[in-house]
Amino acid sequence: MEVMMLLVYDQPGVMQRVMGEFTRKRINVETIVVGKCEMPERARIVLSVTDKEKAHGVLEHLRALQEVIEADIVDSDRHEAYAIMQGKQGICRVTGTVEEVEALVMKSQPKRYIEAMNAI
Amino acid sequence: MKGARATVKLLEKQNVDLMFGIPGGVLLPFYDELVDSDIRHILVRHEQCAAHMADGYARVSKRPGVCVATSGPGATNMVTGVATAFMDSSPIIAITGQVATGVLGNDAFQEADSFSLMMPITKHNFRITDPKALPESINRAFMIATTGRYGPVHIDIPTDIFQADYTEEELDVKARVPKPRRNLSGLLDAIKLLESAERPTIMVGGGVTWSRAGPEIAVLSEMLMAPIVTTLMAKGSVPDNHPLVLGVCGMHGKQVANYALNNCDVLLAIGTRFSDRVTGKLSEFGAKTKVVHVDIDSSEIGKNVKGRVGLVGDAWTVVNALIAGLQKRKKKATWIERIKILKKECTCDYNIKSNPIKPQKVIHDLSKLLPDDAIVTTEVGQNQMWALHFYECQDNRMFITSGGLGTMGFGFPAAIGAKLARPDSVVADIAGDGSLQMVTHEFATAVENDIPVIVCLLNNGWLGNVKQWQKLFYGSRYIATEFGRNPDFVKLAEAYGADAIRVEKQSEVAEAIERGIKSQVPILLDFVIDPEEDVLPMTPPGKASSECIKGRCIWKGGGD
Repeated sequence: MEVMMLLVYDQPGVMQRVMGEFTRKRINVETIVVGKCEMPERARIVLSVTDKEKAHGVLEHLRALQEVIEADIVDSDRHEAYAIMQGKQGICRVTGTVEEVEALVMKSQPKRYIEAMNAI
Repeated sequence: MKGARATVKLLEKQNVDLMFGIPGGVLLPFYDELVDSDIRHILVRHEQCAAHMADGYARVSKRPGVCVATSGPGATNMVTGVATAFMDSSPIIAITGQVATGVLGNDAFQEADSFSLMMPITKHNFRITDPKALPESINRAFMIATTGRYGPVHIDIPTDIFQADYTEEELDVKARVPKPRRNLSGLLDAIKLLESAERPTIMVGGGVTWSRAGPEIAVLSEMLMAPIVTTLMAKGSVPDNHPLVLGVCGMHGKQVANYALNNCDVLLAIGTRFSDRVTGKLSEFGAKTKVVHVDIDSSEIGKNVKGRVGLVGDAWTVVNALIAGLQKRKKKATWIERIKILKKECTCDYNIKSNPIKPQKVIHDLSKLLPDDAIVTTEVGQNQMWALHFYECQDNRMFITSGGLGTMGFGFPAAIGAKLARPDSVVADIAGDGSLQMVTHEFATAVENDIPVIVCLLNNGWLGNVKQWQKLFYGSRYIATEFGRNPDFVKLAEAYGADAIRVEKQSEVAEAIERGIKSQVPILLDFVIDPEEDVLPMTPPGKASSECIKGRCIWKGGGD
């Protein structure tokens, strides 16, 4: 899983233009969150895709867009993750690096879970 | 002043003196202001051709060409022309009218979402819904089109914006566009690779045409003793008569160029995106080759061929940096000597004196007779490939073609645009009967505005390139490729007021071309050519160049 973070101008059509690059390169976006940010008239897009190579491939195309100020892949090694899982034994909380938390969630196959990556 | 006047003034401030277009309901206020402007407006007959003309104008002048269309069908008609410019990185400014902001999105009369339609086929586009944004958007559009990798920019202007009020000061907005980042961190690696290369080859693409780095690349090739091969888009960027230029590579390219491309140990690729028409089977392409890839657009590096060393910057700057860094190289002559011998083996006499006329004969005579600063445009199909392979784009000649999108009907309007950019040069469109029939109406534009271009029609009565593929790969099962009843092209051109000659004997070809060159009016030369003549040599799609179909080609394969 690769998490990408974009800083864009907050105006109509930006989402379409950004998503157009993903469509063209046949990349399925798993999750996307968009919102206004600490800077006026700017917005941040955080999204995740599964294919690492494709994520790196689309990056330069995103940077070439006039309305994109920054586009980067969030370095998953250095960031903390947090998860709450509900399994047979009840609710369990996990913290650690993204890899550790992801591995644990995969291994325990909980009934339901919430995972927050690179959130801090 | 009103927005319409402001728009015209903003265009004038960008030194626009020519635009191509067709008016419409929502554009009435804008066109009304053109009455009092010095901008020359060329009324075309179809919006697609307005974009092609702006494109042809831009490719010759290296300045943005401007085309205008109304909302709805005007904008959708223009899409093909804009996409053509996008694929070939040509800076055009496409302005479309739009229904008033109050009804935008309500399916008003002649409303189409042209903003969304144009988005994936432009470098950037604007929809002006806030009157305040107009001056900055227009100024930025021109900058974006000509900063970094060139490309078309579209501006969608709702009709009520033309009625908004502006002061003189409001038009003085400085637009800023970030300069593309240069990345020459690989320069030392590139120099090392090129210095140690035993069989270096330089491949130049359309980027070199745009940055006009041809003379510097010739210097570099002499320093490296490296032959130059060009792509379709780069034909003419380095003169074909330079001893180290091998010509165009790829599917219908010169065999010696493909040989150099496939047998070099270090390939210096400048301003090219490694199109599938050049590389053939990607996995076989340069399997043993180390690639130094130079491009102004960082997203091109490693997109199709994984570059060992990527240099991001415009061709002119990077080539000069390489020249400065390569001073110490020892010249090894063995490779270039071999290439020179092979180049002779790849030189054939295509002045074919038989009837019916062979297309090669027409191209041969054009090469011989056109002046040294002539501009040749092509349509798309067999005509384009014969021109690509056989036309000698020497000295200051220019070659303009729709390489990326492959738009039939591009050549004729592009020739009109080119002629307007350089009225003193002879401009000839090498056309096919399929392509020309998509844009014959532009004879009216050419005649009306006294734009004397030559249309050299290679008329074989077929959609020749598709027919050739049906012949070679589908067992000659022809469908939908023969024109059962073509118009009389001579009468057609004459009906529009153009001059026209039909040429049916090879002995009359040269005379017709000479008459075309001297003509003061648009002229159609209808060369009735042999319908059985194919474009050969040809490397079938997805195959390596060793599996080439040769036909008349005398190339022996480069073996000893």
